[in-house]
Amino acid sequence: MATEASSNLKKVQVRRFKPKEEPEHNYLNAEKGIWSWLTTVDHKRIGVMYLASVVFFFFVGGVMALLLRTELWTPAKTFIEANTYNQLFTLHGAIMVFLFLVPSIPAALGNFLLPIQLGAKDVAFPKLNLLSYYLYLIGATIVVYAMLSGGVDTGWTFYTPYSTSTDGAITAMVFGIFVIGFSSILTGVNFITTIHKMRAPGLSWSKLSLFSWSLYATSIIQILATPVLAITLSLIAMERILGIGIFDPALGGDPVLFQHFFWFYSHPAVYIMIVPGFGVVSEVITTFSRKHIFGYWAIALSSLAIAFIGFLVWGHHMFVSGQATLASMVFSFLTFLVGIPTGIKMFNWAATLYKGSIKLQSPLLFIFGFFFLFLIGGFTGIVLGTIALDVHLHDTYYVVAHFHFVMVGGMVMAFMAGVHYWWPKMFGRMYNEMLAKIACLTIFIGFNVTFLPQFVMGAQGMPRRYYNYIEQFQIFHQVSTIGSYILGLGFLLVFIYLVKSLINGEKAPANPWGSRGLEWQVSSPPPQHNFNHTPVIVHGPYDYHQPMDEFQLGLAESGNGHGHADHQDIKIDRDEPNREL
Amino acid sequence: MANDSTATSHPKYHLHHFVDAEQQFDSAKMGMWVFLVTEILFFGGLFAAYIVYRAWYPDLFTEASTELNTLLGTINTIVLIGSSLTVAMAIRAAQLNKTKQIAINLGITILLACAFMVIKYFEWTHKFHLGIFPGEFYTYEGIAHPKASVFFSIYYLMTGLHGIHVIIGIGLMTWLLIKALKGEFGSQYYTPVEITGLYWHLVDIIWIFLFPLFYLIE
Amino acid sequence: MTGHHISTYKTLLGVGGALLILTLLTVGVRYLHLPHPWAIIVAMGIAIFKASLVALFFMNLWWDKRFNTMLLLSSLVFFGLLVGFTLLDTLYRPSIIPGF
Repeated sequence: MATEASSNLKKVQVRRFKPKEEPEHNYLNAEKGIWSWLTTVDHKRIGVMYLASVVFFFFVGGVMALLLRTELWTPAKTFIEANTYNQLFTLHGAIMVFLFLVPSIPAALGNFLLPIQLGAKDVAFPKLNLLSYYLYLIGATIVVYAMLSGGVDTGWTFYTPYSTSTDGAITAMVFGIFVIGFSSILTGVNFITTIHKMRAPGLSWSKLSLFSWSLYATSIIQILATPVLAITLSLIAMERILGIGIFDPALGGDPVLFQHFFWFYSHPAVYIMIVPGFGVVSEVITTFSRKHIFGYWAIALSSLAIAFIGFLVWGHHMFVSGQATLASMVFSFLTFLVGIPTGIKMFNWAATLYKGSIKLQSPLLFIFGFFFLFLIGGFTGIVLGTIALDVHLHDTYYVVAHFHFVMVGGMVMAFMAGVHYWWPKMFGRMYNEMLAKIACLTIFIGFNVTFLPQFVMGAQGMPRRYYNYIEQFQIFHQVSTIGSYILGLGFLLVFIYLVKSLINGEKAPANPWGSRGLEWQVSSPPPQHNFNHTPVIVHGPYDYHQPMDEFQLGLAESGNGHGHADHQDIKIDRDEPNREL
Repeated sequence: MANDSTATSHPKYHLHHFVDAEQQFDSAKMGMWVFLVTEILFFGGLFAAYIVYRAWYPDLFTEASTELNTLLGTINTIVLIGSSLTVAMAIRAAQLNKTKQIAINLGITILLACAFMVIKYFEWTHKFHLGIFPGEFYTYEGIAHPKASVFFSIYYLMTGLHGIHVIIGIGLMTWLLIKALKGEFGSQYYTPVEITGLYWHLVDIIWIFLFPLFYLIE
Repeated sequence: MTGHHISTYKTLLGVGGALLILTLLTVGVRYLHLPHPWAIIVAMGIAIFKASLVALFFMNLWWDKRFNTMLLLSSLVFFGLLVGFTLLDTLYRPSIIPGF
């Protein structure tokens, strides 16, 4: 490729690479046998393994939730002992947060899609990617071992001094979570480097998909916050093993200091959990309204804003812990601030839908569920961020309802949307659309029946994590329990028709939704190396007004695209008819 | 269209998913810097604990730090700075394709790192001798302040975590040394030396802060 | 590989020498018994300067892509946030129990 002497622009010859329909060779059948899966460095296979694992743990955590809700049917003991109950809510929380929510979208969907959306052949460090997955499995095994060997009943928040002095397999549990955290850190390292260094020619930052932007923001949070969790967990272990008294008042320490360190990670962690979901929302909304996203830079940069401000609010978990009033006031104010970038996203998404050509298919329906439920979850977060209100609501079911609205109503709905949206891409099969719509409705109804009563009883004073309660709350608990079964049925239905689609689902075309995204310009399922050419990007992924073939361009030369084409200097000359750019 | 990914031949250290060696090297360096960010925040939690407790109990810190041997701490600081210098020399040797000097410099770095651990061993065992143990095992009576065990707990935690990182560094550099002796590094490819060097310099930087914070309080 | 800065012996030994001198300086300053708070300010100032020399000239940030420097600086910013906001609590607790 000769560089023109008169300008910095390189001329490259491109041609169209139409994706193959029903490809004979794809990443699923490229190599056969279980060993090829266990030793794979293909980001797509790693993503699929993560998907299977997080779904498994979602069900484990979900079964625990159903057991908890069943126990709460009556005010006194229903069928579980008090100590078992404490272990169940601890594990439900720990498994859902660390083994499901944190890895779900980034590790499962992100791993699969990020390189393809960037026009790359893999992530920057494929072997590190496989290591991340194995660390996740090892950590998960240790957590399960802890669960079965001594049990943990501290709550997923491991507050001191209880966690440092009680019996049980706490040390093993925190070690397991430490290992999982390390997995999360390595994924963050991989994604940041991949997004910076592996973009295809022409893919400038302004053409990056919003899903990629969300993974970028998430990875930034992961690398800055998770290490602090790691040291905090190490300190719990040190206190248990060596009696180091950093958090123990009897030994001269301060238990509130634990809470500072714990929440410095755990608050940004909730943004690790939701921001990738926001990315999915952007992708699904644009595809199913066939319209350019409203306010691309507002959405992209608001993810970064959330990532940053999210580090400044952790003290809102500690208003009643004995924290100094000055600190509480500062944290409360900043908590109000963090809602603003999220609000901006909600408005922009609504504006994208406005006057779009809307297709009411299941991924979009899950997103509508997200809208309603996350809105409530977000607003109630602001309520809890108000110190005076929080004094009354702290440690009640109001908090439980709030975080389930954002995590399940927000994040899990977004995850469902993403899984449904990209299912044809990942597995080359379409699922049953009618069943998907039914499942979406079931989940939505079940969720509301489960968690709306919890706001009410929380405001009336029902404490969280309580095994027993007074008579006046029974009706709320019973409605909530019924809702939880409906919710469980909904998820079960999803699992059934998705698995069925793998067996005999209709074969998926390369681009069933007519999206302009780069991942839809390769076949379903994708080839082993994603692209058999070097993609050249000339439009952003939401330019629905441009013809589809301009999203399928690649370097016309043979060879593996060796030779360095810098992303910044690709320019299309529109007047030239024969596509020599 | 044929699958082109096996078309050209290139050396085994050039990985397929990268366009060229330049992209691969820059990516490795960026990845290591991102990892160093996580290390800084990891130690940062302990530095935060130090700052909180020193702000609460300044007299304790002044008194307890007299138990630490300033001379040994200074020597250790110089030892680590020296090892940073030699690992930088190793990278320079690689860039200039002086393969034997890579191994020599790596070897000296490892020796200096081991010297650091030896001195640390003597420091710690001396304290154990006095009954200065971490946490609830603390029995030393020589410091009047009731919270004395907290200072030493933080001391053992921070120098201990730092020591673990030194040991990991020794392991990594030994692995590099073996590869260097086999002639696997040169001006065409020395990425593992570069990124291990970055890790080692961070270990040095952390000690640069630990030294005055524990040994030079007055 | 193009574009990799190769440090000269002069640079490396010079920086190493400077670090040695600064180490001896910081030990020496300790015996000057500076009044509080200058002792800790000077000690940390020297440490920051030493760390900067290592980062810039041993870790080659001086000649490297600016993004890597941004990574380092941003990690320090977030460390600062951790410490700063925690101190906002721990330094402003009301002393309810005397002598605690």
